[in-house]
Amino acid sequence: MKLDAMRRYATTDSVDVVVIGTGAGGAPVLARLAAAGLKVVALEAGPNFDPARFAFDETLADEIYWTEERLSGGSTPEAFGANNSGTGLGGSTLHWGAFTPRADRRDLLLHTETGMGVDWPIDYDALLPFYERVEAFIGVSGPADYPWDPDRHYPLPPVPRNAPAQVMAMACDRLGIRTTDSPAAVVSRDFSQEGGGLRRACINCGYCHQGCRNGAKTSMDVTYLPQAVADGAEIRPDCRVHGLERDREGRITSVIYRHGGIDHRQRCGAVFLSAGAVETPRLLLHLGLANGSGQVGRNYMGHVATQVWGTFEPEMRMNRGYPSSLISEDMIRPGDADFAGGYLMQSLGVEPLTWGNSVARGRGLWGRALVDHLDRYNHMAGIGINGETLPCDANVLRLADETDALGMRKARIDFGYSANEDRLNAHATRTIKAIWEAAGATDIWVLDRVAHTIGTCRMGRSGDSAVVDPYGRSFEIPNLWISDGSTFPSSLAANPALTIMALALRSAEAFLGHRA
Amino acid sequence: MPNSPVARPDIADPVAGVPPAIVCLHFLGGSAREWEPIAARLDGVARVVALDLPGFGDAAETSGYTVEAMADHVAGRIAAAGLGGRWYLAGHSMGAKVALALARRAEDGAADLAGLAGLLLLGGSPPSPEPMSDDKRREMMGWISADAATRFAKAAEFIDRNTGAPLAEPLRSGAIEDVLRASPAAWTAWLNHGSREDWSHRIGILRIPAVVVGGTEDADLGAAAQRALTLPHLTHGRLVALEGAGHLLPLERPEAVAGLIAGLVAGEPLTKSEAPKVSEPYRALIESGRVNTRLREALLARAEPDDAAYQPGCLDPVELALLRAVVDRVLPQESIGRIDIAARIEARLAAGAGDGWRFAKLPADSQACRAALRTLDAAARSVHGSPFLGLDVAAQDALLTGVASGEPFYPDRPEDGLDAEQMSLWFEDLRGDVVRTYLAHPASLARIGFSGIGAGGADVQRLPGFERVGIGESEPWEPVALGTDGR
Repeated sequence: MKLDAMRRYATTDSVDVVVIGTGAGGAPVLARLAAAGLKVVALEAGPNFDPARFAFDETLADEIYWTEERLSGGSTPEAFGANNSGTGLGGSTLHWGAFTPRADRRDLLLHTETGMGVDWPIDYDALLPFYERVEAFIGVSGPADYPWDPDRHYPLPPVPRNAPAQVMAMACDRLGIRTTDSPAAVVSRDFSQEGGGLRRACINCGYCHQGCRNGAKTSMDVTYLPQAVADGAEIRPDCRVHGLERDREGRITSVIYRHGGIDHRQRCGAVFLSAGAVETPRLLLHLGLANGSGQVGRNYMGHVATQVWGTFEPEMRMNRGYPSSLISEDMIRPGDADFAGGYLMQSLGVEPLTWGNSVARGRGLWGRALVDHLDRYNHMAGIGINGETLPCDANVLRLADETDALGMRKARIDFGYSANEDRLNAHATRTIKAIWEAAGATDIWVLDRVAHTIGTCRMGRSGDSAVVDPYGRSFEIPNLWISDGSTFPSSLAANPALTIMALALRSAEAFLGHRA
Repeated sequence: MPNSPVARPDIADPVAGVPPAIVCLHFLGGSAREWEPIAARLDGVARVVALDLPGFGDAAETSGYTVEAMADHVAGRIAAAGLGGRWYLAGHSMGAKVALALARRAEDGAADLAGLAGLLLLGGSPPSPEPMSDDKRREMMGWISADAATRFAKAAEFIDRNTGAPLAEPLRSGAIEDVLRASPAAWTAWLNHGSREDWSHRIGILRIPAVVVGGTEDADLGAAAQRALTLPHLTHGRLVALEGAGHLLPLERPEAVAGLIAGLVAGEPLTKSEAPKVSEPYRALIESGRVNTRLREALLARAEPDDAAYQPGCLDPVELALLRAVVDRVLPQESIGRIDIAARIEARLAAGAGDGWRFAKLPADSQACRAALRTLDAAARSVHGSPFLGLDVAAQDALLTGVASGEPFYPDRPEDGLDAEQMSLWFEDLRGDVVRTYLAHPASLARIGFSGIGAGGADVQRLPGFERVGIGESEPWEPVALGTDGR
């Protein structure tokens, strides 16, 4: 994105706020605080990419993933990198799927409903106005009527259904499962971005996860960040934060970051930490800060994100079109559930390397069988789920003994399903297999998979059991705020990014209210 | 003038019309004269220039027994001889290791070795430490300085044990005599040090054409060991197994060895690594305006043939050969031309280019790879009595099936190896890497009929993308799958 005309601050200036990270958690905060006239600087570890250089290629897209090594342990070790972790101005929104369901109202009160998991310290009605503002601002395309929420209306018409969506819709109709066009933060027509430029309509290229070339897909660098810059924010790419300095009262006074091999110090009045559910707790653990509750790093969550694949007689060419253009929320609370919470389903088209990687790893094919299966790429379609994961003591992020190039200890993440996730997964697998059977698919197979990075700095009402309050403010360090997926007390069935953005605006406004 | 082995510093200058020279290096306890029966058969085809290595034959009084010192000695002789034009190098057993060291120098541009055009390695001691039991080393060092009667009896036993069938006279007596005139210091130095020197990284992977010969009755350095230990260092190496032969190949099979030299000198064509061909329509798509410049350049770069003599950065050549063998089982490339997937993966490992995570149960990526390959090779030796590279594909597949299962698939793991669960995790990682590397290649994308590369060219304001995205719909320019029946 263009930064040449932006306002710049000296490191000796004490700015009002430094935002660490420019993804879905940091960018809306930056924009909102800049709009309120605050002096704000964002520090982004990754580079400033020119989206026009994204190249429709999975290998060349490696540049937009966070590829510093993390260690994955536990009974269902999660993949990072391209699976869920981004870098660059815009963070993980450069590679996200832009699939934007809202949280289900019941998921925020799961403990009240089931006695399992936890309740969030905020309810759906508190989030709703922020959801609506975000959806309008970033340009979410979706159906005119949303079967599971009659009050919901999307600002843009849906993107076209691709082949996997079409075949899934037909089969679900046959089985009486409701489906509709997905809510997608991909503009289905040319869209004049508030605070930014013209975003061209989606061209159905299918490369959402490799970086959108024409701005059709919402990423922070085409939405909140240009708005922030227009309102006077400074954004510094290639700046890796590794220290926070504090005064005698414990308030943060400056942020230490490395840029071009040299450490810099930016003085500031407050910090928003928005580095994601791995790097945020990693930095706090590295510095030994804000962890009086002992909760930093705890209750790490990935979504149950199982996929079921099938082979179809006609050509599907699933690389084309918005990858997840059909949704069903019918399983958010299945009638026959033997588990708490639920899952949503989405149709899947996946680019060949990502898909082939799943075939080789998850299905375990090799040899002739692998080559034969890869040859059928144009006839594949998938359905995936995003399922509730409950917080669990065994799922925790710690610092490993190994260090990175900066001398910071690497993150080690242990993650495993408990009984609730196993039951949910079994239900989902049965359901989707039945859909693919109804669709006439052959060679149906199941890919067990974990997605997203959630938890580790949970929000709550008490500093004894939570890291931040319901607005994202640290219980211990009064001028430290956290805005990213790390504050989620439970995973929700919905994909996290839309909720992260909504919470970010809410945090920013709480911060402004607090100052006033 | 008849061909005769020479062991003197004043090797004659080349004369126009004279056949090319082949410099020959003998085995431990041998001498230049072991090449006499071969020289006699190469009259007019090649000039055999047989040398004595320091401590042996007529050079028994010469010192300098390390591989490096022996190579220096030979290089000096060759320089003095001024062989000119193209010439060849043969090494037998100990001499083969010296020959490999010289070949590395020649490829690195040593002026005094210019013109080296081919290698013949007979029962060669490999670049890595030679497989030999400590008992055997001890026993051989014990009698070399014993009393005369013991020395004679043991020397005779040494020669007899190293042949598939007893040598005829006078070859046998000559061979025993050579052992007895060797310097005990040189003999011991080789057993204690020279044979244990690890040259695998220094020798790396050579481009020179080479014929690698092993006897089927040679327990330690036969055909299977040559495949596993020496061939990985040779881009253009051809393995020849001599049925029924033991370790003393020049003495046992002069006819066959002479024939191999004749073939080498005749310059039989090299096998060239050929890249898979990108079909014409797909190449036209890549060249078209539907593909953006950055992607086009990347695809064409990936389509370039791999360097057949790729030098591994973190694996040693034997480990790279093992990785290639495993990768071939994971993704058999049966069509004409091949992607050197293993070398492409190795290059990323060596560069330390990770994908953002690793299984906490595995050590760092390159370390895991080396440990896994070591474990796999140990399993092959334990289950089949053969290195992995010596197994047929069915036996290799059976071992890899065991690896994939995550269950212990052979009795003991090596101390520095991986356990069964780690092996299965490593194999999972490897399968992912293999597929990603394979599918990044435009020939593979053409094979599966992948249209995504054509979503749009340079002008981001006017990207064509896809208009037809539904079931069974296709746009006229979209490629058709080439593989099997396409589904």
